[in-house]
Amino acid sequence: MGKFAAWVGYLIVLLGLPQLFDSVLAITIFNQMAIAIVFALSYNMLLGQGGMLSFGHAVYFGLGGFMAVHALIMIEFETVYFSITLIPLVGGLIGLIAAVFVGSFSTHKAGTVFAMISLGIGELVAASSLIFVSFFGGEAGVSADRTFGPPFFGVEFFQDVEIYYLSAGWVFVSTVFMYLFTQTPAGRMANAVRDNPERAEFIGYSARRVRFISFCTSGFFAGVAGGLFALNYEFITEENLNAVTSGRVLLMAYIGGLGYFIGPIIGAVVLTLMNSLLSNYTELWMLYLGMMFVLTVLFLPRGFAGFIMMHQTAWLRGKLSSLFLPYLITGTPAIMFGGSILAAIEMLHHEGEPFGFLFLTLDSGNTLHWLALAAVGAASYFACRRSLGQLNVAWEEANRMDNPTEGGPG
Amino acid sequence: MSILSLHNVSKSFGKTEIIRGVNLDIQAGERHAIIGPNGAGKSTLFHLISGKYQLSSGRITFRDQEIQNRPPYEIARLGLARSFQVTNIFPRLSVFENVRCGMLWQQGLGYSFRHLLGRQTELNARAIHLLEEINLADRADFPAGELAYAQQRALELGVAIASGADLIMLDEPVAGMSLSEAEAAVSLIRKITKGKTLVMVEHDMNIVFDIADRISVLVYGEIIASDSPQAVRANPKVQEAYLGEAALAAAGDNDA
Repeated sequence: MGKFAAWVGYLIVLLGLPQLFDSVLAITIFNQMAIAIVFALSYNMLLGQGGMLSFGHAVYFGLGGFMAVHALIMIEFETVYFSITLIPLVGGLIGLIAAVFVGSFSTHKAGTVFAMISLGIGELVAASSLIFVSFFGGEAGVSADRTFGPPFFGVEFFQDVEIYYLSAGWVFVSTVFMYLFTQTPAGRMANAVRDNPERAEFIGYSARRVRFISFCTSGFFAGVAGGLFALNYEFITEENLNAVTSGRVLLMAYIGGLGYFIGPIIGAVVLTLMNSLLSNYTELWMLYLGMMFVLTVLFLPRGFAGFIMMHQTAWLRGKLSSLFLPYLITGTPAIMFGGSILAAIEMLHHEGEPFGFLFLTLDSGNTLHWLALAAVGAASYFACRRSLGQLNVAWEEANRMDNPTEGGPG
Repeated sequence: MSILSLHNVSKSFGKTEIIRGVNLDIQAGERHAIIGPNGAGKSTLFHLISGKYQLSSGRITFRDQEIQNRPPYEIARLGLARSFQVTNIFPRLSVFENVRCGMLWQQGLGYSFRHLLGRQTELNARAIHLLEEINLADRADFPAGELAYAQQRALELGVAIASGADLIMLDEPVAGMSLSEAEAAVSLIRKITKGKTLVMVEHDMNIVFDIADRISVLVYGEIIASDSPQAVRANPKVQEAYLGEAALAAAGDNDA
């Protein structure tokens, strides 16, 4: 019952978001989130659930997207006649076909071999996209118009919000199917092969075949995400199947948390927000994204979802509230320390000209600003370190139980 | 009736011949122990039978089917299960998932993505029942990697027998256990292999003479004796090559 409620909640959030935030920017962001969620979930099928580190997952996203744009063009010129609501399915099928082909030789081994093949295929397809101009459109990419074809119950998809509701439907259905996949024999054996491919072979399963199935399923849903991209933007370029896009989906899945089904959803939401909102405030947002990734790898190896789940024990024992004050005591100086680092980076970036930072105006030419920053940074650093002890004590207290299972936060 | 037969099985790594023309018949229903000094090739023999290694020459038949050089998963599907000397489980899966994965293929679920595991009530009940047998029911939801050593060894056994295979091969099942843990493990092995054929490699002579109906002695890649425990113990060749006075004394026979 709890699970059912979670799914209903998910659907309500997906459908309710445009009611709460209806600005053009918000709808744009929601559309990006929808695409990112499906893409990141499909990536986690490989890395989180199947133990396959791919540096070329954008290939399936991009090929699906390109074919989807071509399908839109075909609808426009009446070569084919079907509703554009089915466009993500076109993307998915192309992603699946590409994955069947590549997976037939790349899933033989996991680990470095698989990672290198994925990198090679990624480069190969990205290079091809600039060679085969008739399909990929060269550097300009290909574009289409989604407003042709039969209307879907009277909707003709002139507006972004209409595309959002269509995307939300696809996101929900895709999420359900990707979740159900984890509950099937094929999905569970993907976990087993990730953990120990040798043993899986001795209980009757070909590790290669298990990987191949995950790989193809993952390629399909990456293609669906590519189809959603095509519907939303009505154009697609080489950038959408190259290593940058592949890297971004890896970051999303990792920062969100590979070990949890909802991890990539969290990662997709957080990174899309950073991408859209932070880029309005600073040119350095890519740098901060990189810093966040490194810090996540170092301190939250199980991602944001892992950090949330870490509190399950305390929550079940009704002790979560006892952690609030210790978190505040350590968290406040920690945030101030992080803030002073960011301020210093921004000051170096805005060499010689004053700029706004939060509610302050900073100027790298002003020695006093540097001194103040150093003082705040040092003070907050030591305050943070000194308070770590009380946080650890509080953590132990909140989690003490008969069976030692989980480590502390730091 | 022999369930597993090895005919002139040889295995070389480069120029080094590890297994040199082994002939061995395992009778259906017997408990057969393979003993021998370190480096005699016992684990290699297990790897050859279970498909981990390819043979250099020879034939292996399991229930009248040739199985040499077939991949491990095909051999496993025929009903030949094995455990490993070094614990070889699925560390991030729960204890329950470990044994359930071991049952999936024989349940006919294969690579299916149309069945939901949660709906397989009979399968899930059998997995719980197996966990009770190996005394891990109270650890069902733990990640397998977090179990204590002896519990991991019990789970190793559980994954091996989960498929319901008729022939079970155990590679040093009590290695590294304390005396009391080993005793518990032996009675567990007796219990779960009832009505099945057991082939085991074991160093502890107490356990070997306790469990085995027949013993084969492997020395430098050759079987020098294959007989009942009493006959093996009395065999002068075996005494010379392998069994020291101490081992015999430990086996509870000071007259030998």
